[in-house]
Amino acid sequence: MDLHKIMDLPGALAAFTYSDKGDLQSHQLREGTELTPQVLDLLARSCVANQAIAGMEARGWEALTGQSGFQPLKGFSVVGLEWSVVVNGNCGVVVRNRDADYEATFNALQAA
Amino acid sequence: MHIVKQLMAIPGVIAAGEYAYRGDRFSYEGALTDEFARMASILCRANTLSVNMQSEIFDSFAENCGCRPVQGWIVRGDKVTVCAVGNYFSFIENRDELLNDVMTIMRAKVGDVQDDLLANLYARLGGDTKEALY
Repeated sequence: MDLHKIMDLPGALAAFTYSDKGDLQSHQLREGTELTPQVLDLLARSCVANQAIAGMEARGWEALTGQSGFQPLKGFSVVGLEWSVVVNGNCGVVVRNRDADYEATFNALQAA
Repeated sequence: MHIVKQLMAIPGVIAAGEYAYRGDRFSYEGALTDEFARMASILCRANTLSVNMQSEIFDSFAENCGCRPVQGWIVRGDKVTVCAVGNYFSFIENRDELLNDVMTIMRAKVGDVQDDLLANLYARLGGDTKEALY
């Protein structure tokens, strides 16, 4: 996983990878950001949880409605007041909202 | 123009709607049945409540770290994406640039979600929710 490349995304403040259990494995922080490794560690854990919930909802939605196109899941994002965290698989990136390109970020994480 | 109508005017938007924070009322336009819109409304409320709970935990570790109050969330599916900002949601196709356009419109039209969201989420469950929460 090339976190340097992920950090080139518009508005990227931090990039990180984590285990299936949510343990932070590697990270990069933009100089001057208020984010800390401790916040990234918590974020990683929430990312695992949110992807699991979204996966369950996608599967349930398809089964109940007969609609398709939700699975397999390609990522999840939480949009905060100043920044958003975008995750897919075992990699996440925090992007500043005013510069965020959600589409490019999801695509980059999918390709990573 | 109302946000839902504005979203539905964009090619690739499958459905859009508004859900009450307490999950039992909703309105929508687009390719959903009443029952599916009801389910979407409950799903959106549950996810919004969940990510707000998480942001409160982040905030307790790093005050004013920039995530609280949560403005919304996005679930990116294989061909469909679900976006929620405040108490509005949209189901959109995965087309080039559509997600960015929809998020820009939703953020601009809904405005910044304020910090009393949790109180609204619990509103009318009974009792003084503010007192119970804080």
